[in-house]
Amino acid sequence: MEFTITGANALTYPHLHIWDWRVAIYLFLGGLAGGCMSMAAVANLRPGKDVPKNQACCWRVPMMTPIILAVGMGFLFLDLQVKEHMYRFYMTLQPLSPMSWGSWILVLVFPAMIAFALSTVPESAMDNLKDGMIRNLIIKAQNSMRPLAKLNFLLGILLSIYTGILLSSFMARPLWNSSILPVLFLNSGMSTGAATMILMARRNSIKLFFTKVDIWLIFSEITVLVLLYYGQFTSPEASRESIMPFFTLTSQYFPYFISILTLSIVLPLAIILKFLELSGDHSENLELTFKQKFEMNASAVLVLLGGAIIRFALVYAGQLSKFTGLS
Amino acid sequence: MKHYAMVIDQSRCVGCMACIAACVQENQVPFENFRTRVLEITKGKFPELRTEFRPELCNHCDNAPCVMACPTGASYKREDGIVMIDRDKCVGCKACIAACPYDARYINEEYGFADKCTFCLHRLKKDLEPACVATCIGKSRIFGDLSDRDSEVSRLLAENESRVRLKAAGTKPRVFYIKRYPTKK
Amino acid sequence: MAISRRNFLKCAALTAGGAVLAESPFVRAGAKAVIKKDIRYVPSFCEMCFWRCGLIAKVEGDRLVKLDGNPLHPQSRGRLCAKGQSGMGLLYDKDRLKTPLIRTGKRGDGKYRKASWNEAYSYIAEKLTAIRKKYGPESVALFAHGSGGAYMGNFMEAWGSPNHSHPSYAQCLGAREVAFTLTFGQGPASTAERYDMANSRVMALFGSHLGENMHNSHIQDFVDGLGNGTKLIVIDPRYSTAATKSSMWLPIKPGTDIALILAWINIVIKENWYDHDYIAKYAIGFKELKEAVKNYTPEWAAKKTDLPKHQIVEAIRELGRYKPNVLVHPGRHYSWYGDDTQRGRGLAILNALLGTWGRKGGIWLPPKVNLAKLKKKIKYPKPKRDSLAYGDYPFSSAGITTEVRQATISGKPYPIKAWFVIGTNLMKTMPAPEITKKAIDNLDLVVNIDLMPTDMVMMSDVILPAASYLERHDDLAVVTQKNAGIAIRQPVVKPWKDVKPAWLIANELCAKMGLGKYIEYKTLEEHMREKAKLWNIDYDKLSRVGYIPIPDSYHPYITEKNQPKFDTDSKKIELYSSALDDEDMDPVPRYTHHREPPAGSFRLIYGRSPVQTFSRSINNKWLWELKNDNAVWLNADIARQMGIKNGDKISLINEKGGKSNVGRVKVTERIRKDCVYLIHGFGSTSKRMTMAYGRGIDDTQMMTHYATDPICGTNGLRVNFVKLLKES
Ligand SMILES: Nc1nc2c(c(=O)[nH]1)N[C@H]1C(S)=C(S)[C@@H](COP(=O)(O)OP(=O)(O)OC[C@H]3O[C@@H](n4cnc5c(=O)[nH]c(N)nc54)[C@H](O)[C@@H]3O)O[C@H]1N2
Ligand SMILES: Nc1nc2c(c(=O)[nH]1)N[C@H]1C(S)=C(S)[C@@H](COP(=O)(O)OP(=O)(O)OC[C@H]3O[C@@H](n4cnc5c(=O)[nH]c(N)nc54)[C@H](O)[C@@H]3O)O[C@H]1N2
Ligand code: SF4
Ligand code: SF4
Ligand code: SF4
Ligand code: SF4
Ligand code: SF4
Ligand SMILES: [Mo]
Repeated sequence: MEFTITGANALTYPHLHIWDWRVAIYLFLGGLAGGCMSMAAVANLRPGKDVPKNQACCWRVPMMTPIILAVGMGFLFLDLQVKEHMYRFYMTLQPLSPMSWGSWILVLVFPAMIAFALSTVPESAMDNLKDGMIRNLIIKAQNSMRPLAKLNFLLGILLSIYTGILLSSFMARPLWNSSILPVLFLNSGMSTGAATMILMARRNSIKLFFTKVDIWLIFSEITVLVLLYYGQFTSPEASRESIMPFFTLTSQYFPYFISILTLSIVLPLAIILKFLELSGDHSENLELTFKQKFEMNASAVLVLLGGAIIRFALVYAGQLSKFTGLS
Repeated sequence: MKHYAMVIDQSRCVGCMACIAACVQENQVPFENFRTRVLEITKGKFPELRTEFRPELCNHCDNAPCVMACPTGASYKREDGIVMIDRDKCVGCKACIAACPYDARYINEEYGFADKCTFCLHRLKKDLEPACVATCIGKSRIFGDLSDRDSEVSRLLAENESRVRLKAAGTKPRVFYIKRYPTKK
Repeated sequence: MAISRRNFLKCAALTAGGAVLAESPFVRAGAKAVIKKDIRYVPSFCEMCFWRCGLIAKVEGDRLVKLDGNPLHPQSRGRLCAKGQSGMGLLYDKDRLKTPLIRTGKRGDGKYRKASWNEAYSYIAEKLTAIRKKYGPESVALFAHGSGGAYMGNFMEAWGSPNHSHPSYAQCLGAREVAFTLTFGQGPASTAERYDMANSRVMALFGSHLGENMHNSHIQDFVDGLGNGTKLIVIDPRYSTAATKSSMWLPIKPGTDIALILAWINIVIKENWYDHDYIAKYAIGFKELKEAVKNYTPEWAAKKTDLPKHQIVEAIRELGRYKPNVLVHPGRHYSWYGDDTQRGRGLAILNALLGTWGRKGGIWLPPKVNLAKLKKKIKYPKPKRDSLAYGDYPFSSAGITTEVRQATISGKPYPIKAWFVIGTNLMKTMPAPEITKKAIDNLDLVVNIDLMPTDMVMMSDVILPAASYLERHDDLAVVTQKNAGIAIRQPVVKPWKDVKPAWLIANELCAKMGLGKYIEYKTLEEHMREKAKLWNIDYDKLSRVGYIPIPDSYHPYITEKNQPKFDTDSKKIELYSSALDDEDMDPVPRYTHHREPPAGSFRLIYGRSPVQTFSRSINNKWLWELKNDNAVWLNADIARQMGIKNGDKISLINEKGGKSNVGRVKVTERIRKDCVYLIHGFGSTSKRMTMAYGRGIDDTQMMTHYATDPICGTNGLRVNFVKLLKES
């Protein structure tokens, strides 16, 4: 078949490229924020364990979360073409537009995040706080720490899923248009959250706890990722073709091939490292050796890296895919 | 209520691109942006060939994914069927562009808002045909009101087999194609 | 991983801070709404090409904002083609010539200084006077295409030189007009071309790539015909746009059309498809014709043309079946192989046999127009020497550009020392540009009146910036479609500061050369009003509506009362041409063999893009965005053999080893294996054409040869072979 086209827009032809690294970072940070919310909630809610107050990860992560999300939104803002119309997001709610409810979710999530962050402020930090509004707020929040944590756990999941739904709602882009994508983004968001907990945690037991959690999350992340490709491969032509960039070795598609290659190294490597951690001697009060710390942090960084790669690869590759079917 | 639609008789299209040029000028479409395009698709082997000329534009879908995707309500569907963009509401998030399976939209590079074919609403208001239709050298583009049974579009659709693009997408386009090849000897 | 370049730019701009906000849609869109100026609609006619469609310009304040077709005007019928729609791209082209320029460097190296009009005229005057003194006034030649040519023609007459030449003759339709005049006493040209395509039952196209060849109402008629069910037969080595609409495509071996035509004539006669009464009544020479073509069998033609015999036979039978409401389209661009008058004769004879002249669906008769001539107030001097532009051909009927060029080089029959060029880009228009350069080297003066710094303009000594068709008057146009009428060209906006319309330049040159007595009018408009008055046309109304029909002019078809007149020697249709016989030329066309490309080479064939006019519009921003490159069409099997993929970079090598720009290849099933196809007009060498410079491949540069038609001196351009070179 021969094909000539006159009057195509560079933005959509030969393929879409409306969204770039800014949106990829936004989705990554959005998922990370969601993961942090949920994982920090878990840390503070650990059933049957005493709440490890004063633990860096248990209150610094909740503190960081709004910042991560804000930075993520900053990148989205950077992508908007008419920035001074930003306020238009909040003049309406469009029930069929994931981007619309996304913008509202983001707004709703912030108070919950902040309240939770306040509720986790440890006594030691309180000493330096003068009396006043903030102190009162913190004390109020501290009284509702558990319900706030539960709320944050849920909202974190919602936020992570949302970052996937944003893309998967586009019927026109077969790679994105998969119901597995939100699950993948949820999974990846949670695993990056857990990784953040590992990085931030000081206490052995907590690092170990999240290492165990992360193993499950990465396992399922790998599974879901494979399922995504499998699902696309067994779907109609356009969907099948949508994954081809990842498996075609040409200069044009090289980055996608590399992304799959890296993922298939990074994620298993992270798991192996984590198993190595678990196999070490970790009695409660023992100091971690440098090697142990390194292994733990390295695996966490790998997980974060994997999460970022997934976002970048899917944001870009999705735009290469086209709905064809009947023409 | 009017029910605007376009019929494109591909057998009359000669790929002259007058429609594109007219649209660009009429709507002051920025340099290298377009609201309509023309595809030339050839199949077969020498000398057994078939070539199709296919003008494309926004389909003003009755079930418009672009409208659904828009977070601000800037993209909306009018009662007469025209899908429009309210420039003052558009944040340029590009969700509508990602949502349109026909790649009918673009970002107006001068101002940043999303843009696309309007069926030349401003001309319809003055009882003029869309610019691309008015100048179509092959009279291949026919515009009109489907709610009027006597309109040329209604007649053409009644008398001919027609298709829409990507029917499977379920968008219910209002741009219809009539494709007739010459009978070969 | 393509990241939008534009998004990047936007992002970079954002960091520049306030600048973006100041440019925000609020500010700008708001401002726009406020400045809305008064809107005027001014009718005129287009000259983005030579079809001259009536237009209506929408003008906001003093700025042109939109061009539309004038529904009253029969060349446009309310529509404009892409080129016509994009007229403001020419008007507002930032590369346009803005002031007179005088060359300071060597010819061709692009160094010029700005000059006032007076300086430019003085420069020209000095050179011209010297040339007249030394060689006589006839040593000045004119090359002209388009409306401005007439005024410069007047200047030439006043000056005393008969050497006018036109690319529209020798490089275009000259041979057709000569061939049809020899046959019917008249060519098929009018303002339009007189083909009744909308009503044709069957139509055959030889070449004639209608659709790509975009002459507005011509294509409207063509498509209306298709809509009405015209059966289309297309004879073209390439699956052209028109061929895609055909029920029969005959991918003929290039250069063998006459074989097909002769076989068709033979079949028409043998199988009795011809219009007996018509031939008996209007034609002479049938017997001789019959005798002359009897050996041109379909089998023979099949061999020559590389077409299946059954296709050859079936196609002409289809035409025969529906005669006389059929058309063998005579085509427009004729300068193909050097035997073009004979090809034209063959097509004319076919039309005659099928009885199409003056018949519905065939070739309509010109409208009846009886317009008085304005009394000439002046009498031009008679040149002492005959024009050398007609060359030594028995039937040349207009000035031949390549003859003037040849004389400039040889100095024979007398020297040519100055060229005036208006509206033609000779470096792209005449074949063998190396020869053109050589000729220019012999000149003392080259003056160019143009709008754009084209290749030819950049070879000139004095450049005079012309007003575009949207900024000037041109003489009243008598439009001859089936109906006749009068159309007006008038400025739709004020001209750019320092540009002038050709009529004014011609008048001012006359004045400068002391030829003031030959100036016919002070302003052209005054002359136009005078004419309108003479013709009983309300000028003010004309300037408001753009076109006024001439009543009772419609007489397209033969009826008892409306009989055709054939202005041949015999006053009949001459199937056998005694005029040709008298000159020892074939009175009935004969097949001549043309050389064929050696292995590894391809015949270079060429044509039009519907959105460009030759080289004249390639710098137009709004057309550039539609087409800014011309890929070389190459047969898919050959490409496979050569290891070339669609979109690969290649260059062409001409027969003298000259190499083209690097361009792209379009690998396609739509062309024969023995030729490659290019769109003419690309590959500008002028750096001042900032959009067009260096883009695409120049077909003219590949034309080292041309074949001269012995009957009328026109140039055959399809006799060149090229090699393909892969580039990386
Ligand atoms: N858009 C646009 N339209 C134009 C113009 C323009 O510049 N731009 N120019 C106008 C002018 S002045 C002219 S003269 C016309 C020219 O346009 P036409 O009169 O249509 O020109 P042709 O040379 O007959 O047609 C070119 C076709 O001839 C085919 N061809 C090549 N060699 C052979 C051969 O040996 N035999 C046969 N049978 N076919 C062959 C080519 O493949 C190509 O499809 O176009 C006019 N229309
Ligand atoms: N290789 C090759 N040569 C060809 C052809 C081909 O197909 N291939 N085609 C042949 C044919 S059919 C023709 S008709 C000729 C056409 O030959 P040309 O008429 O020479 O065509 P262009 O190359 O368009 O050059 C037109 C020039 O006129 C200028 N111009 C445009 N408008 C105006 C105006 O209003 N006033 C003035 N003063 N100048 C103006 C343009 O800037 C440009 O320099 O070429 C012939 N030569
Ligand atoms: S064609 Fe695209 S932009 Fe137009 S209405 Fe349909 S989905 Fe929306
Ligand atoms: S770019 Fe504008 S029109 Fe499109 S979805 Fe975003 S806000 Fe709506
Ligand atoms: S209807 Fe108007 S806006 Fe739409 S493609 Fe045609 S000219 Fe452009
Ligand atoms: S103007 Fe008409 S004939 Fe020409 S390309 Fe457009 S739709 Fe086809
Ligand atoms: S055919 Fe096109 S370019 Fe030529 S005069 Fe008509 S509108 Fe202008
Ligand atoms: Mo021509």
